[in-house]
Amino acid sequence: MAVEETVAETTTAKQRLFTVDEYHRMIETAILHEDDRVELINGIIVEMPAVGSRHAACLKRLINLLPYLKPQDVIIDAQNPVQLDERSEPQPDVALLRHRADFYAGSHPRPEDILLVIEISDTSLATDRADKIPLYARSGFAEAWIVDISHRRVEVYSKPVEGRFTSIRAYEQNETVESPTLDWLKVAVISIVE
Amino acid sequence: MAVEETIVEDTTATLKQRLFTVDEYHRMGEVGILDEDDRVELINGVIVEMSPLGGPHIRCVAHINRLLSDFTTPTTILSIQSSIRLDNASEPEPDVVLLRYDRQTFGNDVPPAEDVLLLIEVSDSTLSVDRKVKVPMYAQSGIPETWIVDVVHKRIEVYSQPNEGRYDNVRVYERGETIESPTVTGFSATVNEIVD
Repeated sequence: MAVEETVAETTTAKQRLFTVDEYHRMIETAILHEDDRVELINGIIVEMPAVGSRHAACLKRLINLLPYLKPQDVIIDAQNPVQLDERSEPQPDVALLRHRADFYAGSHPRPEDILLVIEISDTSLATDRADKIPLYARSGFAEAWIVDISHRRVEVYSKPVEGRFTSIRAYEQNETVESPTLDWLKVAVISIVE
Repeated sequence: MAVEETIVEDTTATLKQRLFTVDEYHRMGEVGILDEDDRVELINGVIVEMSPLGGPHIRCVAHINRLLSDFTTPTTILSIQSSIRLDNASEPEPDVVLLRYDRQTFGNDVPPAEDVLLLIEVSDSTLSVDRKVKVPMYAQSGIPETWIVDVVHKRIEVYSQPNEGRYDNVRVYERGETIESPTVTGFSATVNEIVD
């Protein structure tokens, strides 16, 4: 699964990569506009796939379920940018953030603000595994989930060591996901993906 | 070594890259996202960095410059390592282009593909990309004649008769041979004059 590496290598060799600052300038100067559903991944501006109804339903389930579980000091965020490093600003489907009084009006959440990210995958499963998960591991995220809609499974990645998650566990439809890092977070797979 | 090919084809298969138009590319220059230090060109919507030029490459371009300068007329002009606009997604900087010239209008905008009479790319490390990405792109834009000067193997590939994204006529000239341009009437050069 070296797709992510391939992107990074071939493109650092040849393609002009962009920084988060340059990416923000493109938004300010309307080179990129609201209609552009994009994220910055390893210096490349990437189009996000159109959200299908099953993907949308899964997201709705998560953002309606999580408020009942979460403690007061956690903010639930959906499909908003998080700034990981100089060259990456993805938009995970769900991010659980440390509470901040301004709700991150001053700046996008950084890795140290992020407790958990969840990516919902249908057609994007290979890309999420190959590109997003290593990026999140490199950013030192404690935990990341992929909800695999097609196979009705949840993959839970944790224990990042030197840019890789060293613990991976897949939960099937009849199981309950227990977060390895957030003791309050226990979710039946069937309540997220039907 | 199909680095750029990988970018343009394989990468987009996994991550669907946001491609840029020529207008967006120019806006990046205007607002300072891309600046003078950026040696870049826009190839099929992707902003690509150009390789640094080595001595043999510079020498070769200079020799072509001299040869073609002698050949220009009041209605043609030579442009060296400057942009041409192919379509809405590509604005490359070929090493040498022979362009139609009209003092009133020339350079009001980036010269379009229609004004290109002959285009020459000098290749050392970029041979594979030039052949697989650039030549088809030039054919697609209807550029009547393209040369690839292969500095490493000291030979010149001459492409003409563009037809739906490829050139129907390709001829390779080795050292000691003389190229007679198939489309630029009266222009000929020996391989040795260009690459030695």
